[in-house]
Amino acid sequence: MLTSGLLFYILAAAIVLFAIAVVMSSNPIYSALYLALTMVTLAFMFFMLNAPFIAGVQLIVYAGAVVVLFTMVMMLFDLKKEQEAFARGKFTGFIKIASAGWLCGLIAGAVYMSSEMIVSGSKAVSENTATTKNLAIELFTNYILAFEALGILLLLIAVGAVSISRIKGGTHA
Amino acid sequence: MLNSFGHVSLEHYLVLSAILFTIGMLGVLLRKNVLVMLMGIELMLNAVNLSFVAFSHFTGNINGQIMVFFVMTVAAAEAGVGLALAVTIFKKFKEVNIKFFENLKG
Repeated sequence: MLTSGLLFYILAAAIVLFAIAVVMSSNPIYSALYLALTMVTLAFMFFMLNAPFIAGVQLIVYAGAVVVLFTMVMMLFDLKKEQEAFARGKFTGFIKIASAGWLCGLIAGAVYMSSEMIVSGSKAVSENTATTKNLAIELFTNYILAFEALGILLLLIAVGAVSISRIKGGTHA
Repeated sequence: MLNSFGHVSLEHYLVLSAILFTIGMLGVLLRKNVLVMLMGIELMLNAVNLSFVAFSHFTGNINGQIMVFFVMTVAAAEAGVGLALAVTIFKKFKEVNIKFFENLKG
């Protein structure tokens, strides 16, 4: 049990560090690579949470597809050294950081205050419910309509992305 | 042996998810590059996924993992459209900056 706690803290520290590096690096290609590292570490965390199929999908979809899409688009661009990577204005920047910290504190405080209410000690974590077979049964019986709707959404997105990237300016090209 | 260090509860995962969401939000708020803003959105969606999976694990309910599928699909679709917009904006202005989005019409 102690090793799982230690593993959690190591993974959490890695996730937070990589996420901060995504936001802070001024070269966008470094941001994309740190994003890939964040996704891989999150996949490890999903694996720790008894969700191996979600972990695999996370690796394939995010680290394999989305980040590669980002890097390929970046190769398409001619990226020079960014002049103004961050938004200007010291005061507004301070307000943004302060409000984000305030939001994080509010969420953490709410979690801490309601720690007796949420899942009050239901340590009956059933190991067998979260298998891939049960996931598939649930997805293809109760959520079949949402699944089909996602297919239609992906088709729309494919057509829309192609038509957006062919805009030449002026009226409808 | 089961002290507070070795025992990882649901609250740990929720607080980590909140921190990750905040970092993604800061990425959207502070940066001017469209690509990095999209990466911030991806970070926020991943924070939500983490809390879904944590709830699903600690309550023994599988519906949270189903919802993670939907979030992932929508995130991939959103990245596709966002990158198409970035390509359009780069073709017109030779730079991916959020301040050029107001000139993007027609």
